[in-house]
Amino acid sequence: MLRRVRRGSIFQLLGFAAIAAVITSLVAVLVPWLPNPASDEAKRIHFVYWFTTVICIGVFAAVAAVMTYSVIKFRARPDDDSDGAPIHGHTKLEIIWTAIPAVLVTAISIVSAIVLAQNSRTGSHPLVVKVVAVQFAWKFTYPNGKSYGYLTLPKGRHVKLDLTANDVIHSFWSPELSQKQDAVPGQHTSLVITPSRTGTFPVICTELCGLGHALMRSHVTIIPAAKFDTWMKAGGQAASGPPGLAVFQENGCGGCHTLKAAPGANGTIGPDLDKLKQEAARAHQPLAAFIKESILKPSAYIEPGYRDAMPPTLGASIPAGKLTQLVQYLEQSAK
Amino acid sequence: MSSHAEPHEPGAFEHHGPPPIHYSSRVSPAVLGMFLFIASEIMLFGAFFTVYFFDRVVNKPFNGHWPPEGFHRPVYVALINTLILVSSSATMHWADTSIKKGNRAGLQAGLVLTLCLGATFLATQVIEYHRLGFATKDTSFASTFFGLTGLHGAHVFVGLTILLVMTIRAFRGHFSPEHHHGVEIGGIYWHFVDVMWIVVYVTVYLL
Amino acid sequence: MTELHEHHTAPARTGIRRLTGPGWLRVLWVTPIFFGIGVGLPVLIRWLAHWHPVWKGSVILTVELVTVPLGFLVGIGGFDYWAHYASGRPTVEDDHSSHGAKSWRDYFRVNTDHKVIGIQYVVTTIIFFCIGGLLAMLFRAELAQPGDQYFNPQTFNVLVSNHAALMIFLFVIPAFAGLGNYVIPLMLGAADMAFPRLNALSFWLLPMAGLMLVAGMVTPGGGPSAGWTCYAPLCSHQPLGQVFFNMGVQWAGASSIMTALNFLVTIITMRAPGMTFWRMPLLVWANFTTSLLVVIATPFIAGSQFFVMFDRVLHTHFFEPGGGGYVLGYQHIFWFYSHPAVYIMMLPGFGIISEVIAVMSRKPVFGYRLMALSLMAILVLGFSVWAHHMFVAGMAGWLRVPMMVTSMVIAVPTGIKIFSWLATMWEGRIHFTTPMLFALGFLSMFVIGGLSGIYLASVPIDIHASDTYFIVAHIHYVLFGGSVFTIFAGIYYWFPKMTGRMYDERLGKLHFWLTFIGFNLTFFPMHYIGLQGMPRRVADYAGRFADINLFISIASFGLGASTLVFLYNMAKSWKHGEPAGGNPWRALTLEWQVSSPPPIFNFDEIPQVVGHPYEYGVPGAKHAIFGAPKPEPVGTD
Ligand code: HEA
Ligand code: HEA
Ligand code: CUA
Ligand SMILES: [Cu+2]
Repeated sequence: MLRRVRRGSIFQLLGFAAIAAVITSLVAVLVPWLPNPASDEAKRIHFVYWFTTVICIGVFAAVAAVMTYSVIKFRARPDDDSDGAPIHGHTKLEIIWTAIPAVLVTAISIVSAIVLAQNSRTGSHPLVVKVVAVQFAWKFTYPNGKSYGYLTLPKGRHVKLDLTANDVIHSFWSPELSQKQDAVPGQHTSLVITPSRTGTFPVICTELCGLGHALMRSHVTIIPAAKFDTWMKAGGQAASGPPGLAVFQENGCGGCHTLKAAPGANGTIGPDLDKLKQEAARAHQPLAAFIKESILKPSAYIEPGYRDAMPPTLGASIPAGKLTQLVQYLEQSAK
Repeated sequence: MSSHAEPHEPGAFEHHGPPPIHYSSRVSPAVLGMFLFIASEIMLFGAFFTVYFFDRVVNKPFNGHWPPEGFHRPVYVALINTLILVSSSATMHWADTSIKKGNRAGLQAGLVLTLCLGATFLATQVIEYHRLGFATKDTSFASTFFGLTGLHGAHVFVGLTILLVMTIRAFRGHFSPEHHHGVEIGGIYWHFVDVMWIVVYVTVYLL
Repeated sequence: MTELHEHHTAPARTGIRRLTGPGWLRVLWVTPIFFGIGVGLPVLIRWLAHWHPVWKGSVILTVELVTVPLGFLVGIGGFDYWAHYASGRPTVEDDHSSHGAKSWRDYFRVNTDHKVIGIQYVVTTIIFFCIGGLLAMLFRAELAQPGDQYFNPQTFNVLVSNHAALMIFLFVIPAFAGLGNYVIPLMLGAADMAFPRLNALSFWLLPMAGLMLVAGMVTPGGGPSAGWTCYAPLCSHQPLGQVFFNMGVQWAGASSIMTALNFLVTIITMRAPGMTFWRMPLLVWANFTTSLLVVIATPFIAGSQFFVMFDRVLHTHFFEPGGGGYVLGYQHIFWFYSHPAVYIMMLPGFGIISEVIAVMSRKPVFGYRLMALSLMAILVLGFSVWAHHMFVAGMAGWLRVPMMVTSMVIAVPTGIKIFSWLATMWEGRIHFTTPMLFALGFLSMFVIGGLSGIYLASVPIDIHASDTYFIVAHIHYVLFGGSVFTIFAGIYYWFPKMTGRMYDERLGKLHFWLTFIGFNLTFFPMHYIGLQGMPRRVADYAGRFADINLFISIASFGLGASTLVFLYNMAKSWKHGEPAGGNPWRALTLEWQVSSPPPIFNFDEIPQVVGHPYEYGVPGAKHAIFGAPKPEPVGTD
């Protein structure tokens, strides 16, 4: 069959392939497909991505060229009832198009496996941050025992996230860091991040976890390593506020609720906590009792326009002393 | 629209019954169908064994105790039950060979015996469930225990229904040395249910 | 045999017999009885066993979801023959009273003719395609802007879950089963399937399954909203509608196992003389491999749905970490079915494309044997890649690399198919009919979808892209650009055979171009937003994706509207199309050698197969001969 292909048509075919390759390459290069990487792992993942892209452009261009050529050259006229050439196969050709893809995918596999191994390396002294996911908030606990609803990481250090979940499966992802890992109830999983660029980037829950899944967002702030050490010693930003604010942030309440006093608390799944007073009035309860009940037994009163979405186990997981601080804090900020 | 337009060659055929079937394989369709069905049944059991494997071996719950402390499996009752079920396979086989030899009494006796043994097995199982002292909601051990034995029990029930039909037909004089497909196919299923029980018994009670 | 002369006119029933005979009237009173049984049985058992409370709604509902469909099936007549057999009465093996269709009414009863069943399947599945698609239109409207507009997150998730479940379990899988049903016995030279009554039963399970999924959406308390994948433990904590979902999937699964079993037995035992395996058309090969996949894999999704349902209804701990359950066990079991399921949704399409490309290019399929073998290779490999859906799930780390390699290797047999199709077109005389356009559309779109699959198979890339819109793009490039395009190709290709009339070619081409363009405008940008950071299954998203989502939504409405052209064409041509004649495509395979539509028992005499099915351009070649007095097979192969 190869022999039948005249030289002229080989040139034409190559021409089509070149055009297809140029067009796809332009699409690949001109569109900013990937976010600007902010970790060493992301850079390596991007490398695999581009490596695969080059191969795929080749494959696609080949297919597109043969197809376009056939469509143009072998089009039958409407009154043409003749048959094509009775070619049944061509062993050499079949071996070629089995072997080449095999080689190409092997290459992708090898590169991927190497990068995977590199991306799981933690170095000797990683900073271990414990991550607990609940419906619908993140809680990040540092070696010094402090917890936040947001993640702060030092640039250039190996960080190991130790993830788990309390209720259902969630998934930690930050597009700029490229790393993703499910947080599974009853299990601990881990993820390695080596931040390479300062800035603030979104953290997104990517595993469907119920009503508030879409809004289970947080952010990661990467700061220079030196600054990070002082931040750790000082205990972080929350230490500057009232103790109740720390409890509020530890438990990620701001993921679902809005509270102006707490930075970053702008969730809309749950009722607006700046309007607690009116809500308590609607529930015919004194403010403090109302707040406490709403945390411990969230289904007891549902604010009109909202759903019974607050995890019923959340309240029980907060120690009594901290719960009192939290209730006081909310009560005060509502006044 | 109608599914039979003009006849193929008008007048050429008196009737439009199907042409005689041409079988391209020596194995009968019904037997092949039963074997394929059993293949997919094995996979269904496979799914239950898989969840058992994950819950017990991969997850290693209860500090490595399986069953967890305070749970007991009635190994010996189940052993006797196993013997009952295995002997029902023998009676089934007897019924099958009898009809092949034209021995109708053997067929009938064999089927009735199989039916009784199977029913005894199932009854024992239900009583055992009652005396276990734990229920489906108690731990993954109980879940997989009830899952595997319950799935098997459901198959025994289906097997018994098939046997019942065979028995009715046997007493109505339906099978003969030439026509015993029904017994054969029902028998294959029943043997499958028995063999499966041995696997279930070993996994759930002994290991 | 002579008494059978009038066999397909079932005697008209009168008086009380109209109520007791199989049919819709009997459905009306049998279904309530079974409903009663569904209430009574659990209550009785709970009362006997001293379980409290005796009256437990969720248990009763679960039992109902078994008994009510059974009641319907009993009423419509799905079990009549077996009941007859079971009661010990003599049976007539050649009872053809329920065979074939004379009027449209015959499509609404239990019919054992594979051609009627095939059409029942195709029409039913297109209805579910429209429902599933309209759900997509609804949530695309919601996604046109960030924030909540029309639906709250719960409803949104219900829409997404049911969109996918309907498309997969009630459209793609059974649509292939329907086309296969119509064509396979004809292609094999058989009068019907091996088990015609089982065949009818598998069809009637489908509307039940579909209604159950749809009913789940409107159940009080909320519909199933855990995605089509239904991951534990989220799925076990869903509102009542979830049970409808779990059971609906079971019924659809049972139906597809029964059909697959039927296909396998038919293909093994009912081939015409001379039809060796190596002379079977590739469509038959494709359905053979697919059916093996179904028989082996489908029980696993049955298992997985049972487990989550038990976790919810009986409070078992299969996947509840609190009681020693292993959460990820669900995903392993689910994907052990659902990865093979994606090939269940693709291989029959490969078969259709092989037929269409060979006929429309007037050339033999290039590398026929390797085409068949590559199907088998995909079948085997398909079972070894399930964990590529779990790269970020936290499963055992050592599984990642082997699963990546096997996933990648699937590109090799798939590539063989793609290149062989291209080579089949090479030097052909290509006729750009609508089926061929869809075949070409499939070829190009599936390569894009397959290549994005290769990205995902690479673990590092999947870590970035998993659970984002990049996946959504992949899904639709393989499922819409792949499966759905092949289904359209198949429907257009066999439309003349099924109805005896030709579809409107101009409308067909219009449909193709609208779909092709709308499809790309809708789904191509999803690659981009996915990689940039838009997760899937969200009703609300970051504001920077607003413009592009609006664009996607508008494009998707256009894509949806293109279906109207298709529906109009089908309806119009079925009634008023040009008569098509027996073999409008001048094809060689057996289904085209009989009239359109074929005679009631397909062949008045069994054909003798003497050669390959695709010998276009080979002078004097024949696939089969009719009416020869038992000739010696020509050639050995
Ligand atoms: C018809 C359905 C279908 C098909 C055929 C495929 C085919 C493939 N899929 Fe896809 N997939 C889905 C349907 C399908 N998929 C669905 C529905 C999901 C999402 C489920 C969910 O979570 O909801 C999914 C998700 C999915 C994932 C998980 C992503 C995630 O959730 O993180 C992965 C990962 O590996 C993957 C990989 C592949 C691969 C490698 C193939 C391969 O078989 C593709 C092979 C084909 C080609 C490669 C193109 C042709 C080949 C050539 C031209 C030869 C030369 C090629 C090379 C050298 C590369 N798919
Ligand atoms: C065969 C499978 C199949 C098919 C054909 C489709 C078809 C479509 N899909 Fe589907 N989709 C899936 C399988 C499929 N999908 C799966 C498996 C998922 C994953 C679900 C999950 O995460 O659990 C998914 C998820 C999914 C998402 C992601 C949701 C999310 O993650 O939040 C989106 C978003 O745009 C989408 C869109 C569409 C659209 C616009 C179509 C369109 O092509 C539909 C076009 C059809 C019609 C519109 C119906 C017929 C038309 C008429 C009756 C005419 C009248 C209509 C108009 C005039 C508008 N789909
Ligand atoms: Cu947590 Cu989605
Ligand atoms: Cu897969």
